[in-house]
Amino acid sequence: MSDLASLSVSEIRSGLDAKKFSCAELTKACLDKAERLSSLNCFTLLTPEHALKEASAIDALIKQGKSAPLLGVPVGIKDVICTEGVRTTAASKILGNFVPPYDATVVRRLKTAGAVSIGKLNMDEFAMGSSNENSAFGPVKNPWNPEYVPGGSSGGSAAAVAARICPITLGTDTGGSIRQPAAFCGIVGLKPTYGRVSRYGVIAYASSLDQVGGFAHNVKDCALVTQAICGEDPNDATSAKRAVPDFTKALGRDIKGLRIGIPKEYFVSGLSPEVSEATRKAISVLEGLGATTVEVSLPHTDVAVSVYYILAPAEASSNLSRYDGIRYGHRAEGQLDLKSIYSRSRSEGFGKEVQRRILVGTYVLSAGYFDAFYVKAQKVRSLIVKDFTDAFASKCDLIVAPTTPTPPFKLGEKSSDPIQMYLNDIFTIPVNLAGLPGMVVPCGMSPSGLPIGLQLIGRPWDEETLFSVASAYEGATEWHKKAPAIAA
Amino acid sequence: MLSEEEIQKLATLARLEIEPSFKPVVTSHVNSIIGYVARLNEIDTSGVEALSHVQGATNVLREDVVRPVGSSGEAAPLGESAVPPQEMLDSEALMQNVPSHSGRFIKVPLIVE
Repeated sequence: MSDLASLSVSEIRSGLDAKKFSCAELTKACLDKAERLSSLNCFTLLTPEHALKEASAIDALIKQGKSAPLLGVPVGIKDVICTEGVRTTAASKILGNFVPPYDATVVRRLKTAGAVSIGKLNMDEFAMGSSNENSAFGPVKNPWNPEYVPGGSSGGSAAAVAARICPITLGTDTGGSIRQPAAFCGIVGLKPTYGRVSRYGVIAYASSLDQVGGFAHNVKDCALVTQAICGEDPNDATSAKRAVPDFTKALGRDIKGLRIGIPKEYFVSGLSPEVSEATRKAISVLEGLGATTVEVSLPHTDVAVSVYYILAPAEASSNLSRYDGIRYGHRAEGQLDLKSIYSRSRSEGFGKEVQRRILVGTYVLSAGYFDAFYVKAQKVRSLIVKDFTDAFASKCDLIVAPTTPTPPFKLGEKSSDPIQMYLNDIFTIPVNLAGLPGMVVPCGMSPSGLPIGLQLIGRPWDEETLFSVASAYEGATEWHKKAPAIAA
Repeated sequence: MLSEEEIQKLATLARLEIEPSFKPVVTSHVNSIIGYVARLNEIDTSGVEALSHVQGATNVLREDVVRPVGSSGEAAPLGESAVPPQEMLDSEALMQNVPSHSGRFIKVPLIVE
């Protein structure tokens, strides 16, 4: 039997239905592989007992002839998403012992679809970071080369799929945290439209930007995991009352005549030659498939990072005020008065990047600076939304662009300079600010053997066009078949 | 430029105790971030409305109904991938994560002398 952990969702589903292997064997294979590749540090927690118990229950269901879209498919869950009875830390010391009494809606939906969770995935603390170096559990390593970062904040989610530990994982994306690690690890990832997926039970970072999405080896598996988690939820008032289309129907659709916008502001100095070349080659593949390309302008691209680093810290400083050491999470030891319990618990519990963002957020929200920073940023955010609205209104059906300015960088390379680290998200942040769906597919390798990802940006609620274009591109190229040597 | 004293004031407001060795570093980082984001002042936003919700959503209201522990409430109509609604949690389940408690009560230090 070949490596079961490397199978795609379709291969797993047909293998299970044909009784070629059991869900218990498959789950065990994924858990063993996770153990074998523990040096990548993808997981904050593996849950073999839970997983194998669920797997046996699913084997019984399969014997009864039951079927579900992800029945028996092993998955991993980013550790910012609450799982009932399974420790959920957001990779922070402040939640080191937190065991949620309930499942996030996305987890319930995965369970309803028949998936088996094998554990919780490492990440930047509270999803704040672009390299996975801000985790209380230590950094995740890039499976293509352990000296390099896997991207962040969903670094563990991307690395686990790239290393073929399990076929699909969940991550979250606030400023690029699904798309950037998908690009850095050479896999497929999708951030759905804001409001497509419930945030109930997802530990909040910046609530107006946060969105859950899936990682996979290929476009079809990504469509299947996305399908399973989308839809309105009465427990999240920002989840949209909209019917969810069948995404698999968008796969393989002809893209002839589709108008692809190429934003000129994304091809400027600072874009590395290897990323520029891989992106341009991918665009000509799409042209070869019958799509037409047109240059578009998104004039406020270069200020999106500034808008983000006002709004996200502002929302974070407010969201993270709930960690007070009183009701849950870490409480500092000793005979302390109330204020000292708050400040000591928070300082012992939060890492440095989190503290930095809380300070920036507190500053931009403080009396005297609120209008100059926060309100100003919300106004410029309106302009960024308008940039996209204008492009989609008259010129194009989707936008194709690089995901990151450079291929993966080395561990430690950018950790001392926050601005350098933040600029890494310059091409992904505008998509969150405008609430649009954004997808990444692998589109090349750098000369040093590290992956490069192509970003597809759609109209609000139009994930279908992204799936169509991504599947057409995948059908014409071989990049998605490449796996790091460590995965074998 | 924010001084270390001003950073200290922000830290107090945010209920953080900054490690003495981290204070100069974080002061320089916060200043470089504030300096970087201040470039928004160059953008003309006269007549532009501040964004409140990216898809223009408004408040979602429902009746305030008490649901007993263990009940799963009335599910609103869901999309195609319907899931069972959440059940109400009992207080015991919620107390499991409280750092210090006595029965159903959370222990806190003396607040009023």
